[in-house]
Amino acid sequence: MATSLSYREKTLYASLAAELLVYGPYFFFHQQNSVNKVAGMIVAIIALQTVLQLMIAVVTRSRVTDERDRLIELRGYRAGYLTIATLMVVGLGMLWFHATFGQLRLDSHMVGLHFLSVFFGMLVIADIVKTAAQIVAYRRAL
Amino acid sequence: MPVIRNQIRELRATLEMTQQELADRIGVTRQTVIAMEQDKYSPSLETAFKVALVFGVSLEQCFQYDPNGRR
Repeated sequence: MATSLSYREKTLYASLAAELLVYGPYFFFHQQNSVNKVAGMIVAIIALQTVLQLMIAVVTRSRVTDERDRLIELRGYRAGYLTIATLMVVGLGMLWFHATFGQLRLDSHMVGLHFLSVFFGMLVIADIVKTAAQIVAYRRAL
Repeated sequence: MPVIRNQIRELRATLEMTQQELADRIGVTRQTVIAMEQDKYSPSLETAFKVALVFGVSLEQCFQYDPNGRR
């Protein structure tokens, strides 16, 4: 039986594509991170998401969402929360380890930028996991 | 075997109703109707009552609980 994509599914695929397109180059091909780069990326993701969501809204006739959509959304948020909580614990553990036994100097002028980059990375990973978990739930019917 | 089974597909076929028509009448998406027919999604009590109302049957005629079933 053919199951075409619902409005919510289309928006999720668009979100995932936008996230990978914007965040991918930042994390895999970055030279030097900066506050401006992070700010630019946030602007880029908002602009890209707006355009994509508008396009989907225009081409989709039925934009109904229901109880199953809300349940899947909650599952996605739970997956995202568990991811960010895990990353926080692991990240803080690594920070303690490197500050205690490694080369990390917390009084360095670059430490703020490193923190920004790491925490932003955690947010991005959690967001991607949230979206991916929702897509998987839709593909498995729930 | 799922925990909650249903006769939505059979009842829909009896009334020659499409999945989209049923979805519109109970206020869900067609994808949710498909998921219910495949026993992959157990609807809320409210939606279950709406389905039974559309088909003009009791809740038990439309949905059955299987205590030995697995999700």
